[in-house]
Amino acid sequence: MLKRIFVAAAGAAALVMAGAVQAADPVKIGFSISKTGLFAQAATSQIQTYELWREQVNTEGGLDVAGTRRKIEFTFYDDQSNPGKAVQIYEKLITDDKVDLLLAPWGTSLHLAIAGVIERYKFPVIGNTAASVQLRQLKAGYIWFPTSSFPDKQSVQIAKLLKSRGVATAGLVTNQLPYTQENKKFVLPALKSQGIELVVDEDYPPDVKDMTAVLTKVKNAKPDAVLAYTYPADAVTYMNGAREVGLDQKVQVVLLGPQYDFFGKIFGAARNGIFTMGHWTPLRTDWPTAKAYYDAFKARWKTEPDFLDAPLVYMSVEILQQAVAKAGLDRARLRQTIASETFATINGPARFEGVENVLLPAMISQIQDQQQHIVWPPKERTAEPIAKPAWK
Amino acid sequence: MADLLSGQLLIAALVLAGIYGLVALGLNLIYGTMRLLNVAHGEILMLGGYLAYWCFTLTGVGPVWSMFLALVLAGAFGAAVYRTLCRRVLRSARLIEQIEANSLLVLFGVSIILQNAIALSFTATARAYPYLDDIVRIGAFQVTADRLVVLGIGLALCFAAILFFRLSSTGLAIRALIEQPDAAHLVGVDVERMRTIAFALGFAIAGVAGCLISMIEQVSPFMGFPFTIAAFIVIILGGLGNIAGGLAGAAVLAAIEVYGVALTSASMRSILIYGVFIAILVWRPQGLFGRRSVVR
Repeated sequence: MLKRIFVAAAGAAALVMAGAVQAADPVKIGFSISKTGLFAQAATSQIQTYELWREQVNTEGGLDVAGTRRKIEFTFYDDQSNPGKAVQIYEKLITDDKVDLLLAPWGTSLHLAIAGVIERYKFPVIGNTAASVQLRQLKAGYIWFPTSSFPDKQSVQIAKLLKSRGVATAGLVTNQLPYTQENKKFVLPALKSQGIELVVDEDYPPDVKDMTAVLTKVKNAKPDAVLAYTYPADAVTYMNGAREVGLDQKVQVVLLGPQYDFFGKIFGAARNGIFTMGHWTPLRTDWPTAKAYYDAFKARWKTEPDFLDAPLVYMSVEILQQAVAKAGLDRARLRQTIASETFATINGPARFEGVENVLLPAMISQIQDQQQHIVWPPKERTAEPIAKPAWK
Repeated sequence: MADLLSGQLLIAALVLAGIYGLVALGLNLIYGTMRLLNVAHGEILMLGGYLAYWCFTLTGVGPVWSMFLALVLAGAFGAAVYRTLCRRVLRSARLIEQIEANSLLVLFGVSIILQNAIALSFTATARAYPYLDDIVRIGAFQVTADRLVVLGIGLALCFAAILFFRLSSTGLAIRALIEQPDAAHLVGVDVERMRTIAFALGFAIAGVAGCLISMIEQVSPFMGFPFTIAAFIVIILGGLGNIAGGLAGAAVLAAIEVYGVALTSASMRSILIYGVFIAILVWRPQGLFGRRSVVR
């Protein structure tokens, strides 16, 4: 009898121990990151946000996998900003490293590149740092995008905002890189449909070092508004040139640049009144976790998150976290959950139809008192738009 | 057309010429004296930019002062790189046959290591700081004070370098090494010492250029490469190893960039720059101010 009790107790202990070991098994999450190459600078906030999320979740006891808490362990490789390399990495993560979950790489081209791999292995991925109308061509069901900065929808809102500011003529200077060119393609008809005449339209190469000549042309044309479709590096060149040439338009849109921490550091109050793209701000009180995320990022990395990529990255992991809590790690159930549920995020509720988040409208922001406010469309705004003050 | 005569364009062209001239000067020195293709030149500039950023952010010391620290540190780093990596390439009879290709590989490695070391240390996030960014009005045109400072210091350093190479014994010895290396050796020029000095000077000037550029651009681990390319264009335009010619090359490049765009379109910038570059290479392969070599 004693022997039977002992055997039963030993068996029970072994079962408990096995259970404990199973509960302690980390969830392996894989992704590729552009640590070197063309996208390395832009991709920094992505890895910082992934790391922040991993630390937050692990501090709280781990990722809730359908009721069981499991620590997160990352497996990632440098894709060198190379789409071909990213494809190989995702294949390796799925087949060789046998990760439980995948996070997205950086940028539109890499998202488009990995779409085939994840579809082949039926592995759901929530995208983040991509915003091109090309994404809509991807087959829905394995990849989704939380952003609302698709150039077609965004351009319509920019044109409406300009019209509401009494703009009748505009000057456009555009970087020759893909995202700004795609925005240009859609803003031209959008301006026309609002009755806004384009009086200057100049493209410039990405490695431009001085914009005095092109901005002198804009100044001479005397448009009511200036649209500078920049990337972050040449946004600095635009600002320096606009101040020196004396572009005094009360409406100036700088597409990419004002959302980044360095831009605020270099221009301070001189950036006040600049309109820019962006659908997120920690100032929206009806997105209760937005400010907490902003504060956590700033405390962890001693710098502000950018207002474009970083919140999108955090949204993507928030959505994944909630989907895993409900569906666990079974890919078919996870896919079904992501495709059909509504999720709470730092950028408001998110729900996907096709590859798009249909609950987040395209928005336009403006820097006011050195903070990024949403100013358009009216029902989304955290502040009324203002006329750009004179340059300082 | 009236815009072409405006002071605004002139000042923009001068500022650009000052930057290009300064960046190209260091590269020209190293290539001129040793035929070493320093593709890590932009990364030394980047290190100077980071030094200025951290000095300003942590201590409030502006780049106008931290550039002296950059001068010393980058110079010492240049001497160390020469002694540890490049001297061997120059000494080996086997390696010297392909000195340009070999130095390109060695210094490309240095460039990648520096980029990634800085990205790992400080992340790849772009950084910037406000310094002398008020608008200064001069007659009919206006310019930010930081660009005026870049122009002033850049041109002063370029002319100081010209005087150094014309008047000082060390400068004359380095020029002798550039123009007639064998003859310089025969008349007693300490070749090894002059090469170390030229390498240190080349790095030091790049470090200073980085400090100055950090006033008007953001700093990041990958900021250097476009400047390396611009510097190569400038020294090839001006004549490889020709210090004064390099400054003229910088002026040509800046003029194309500012006045060429004013006359045509901003989208024509790269076509104009590389079109003129190729035309000059076809017309004068030795560069605008380079000497045609005579083979007897």
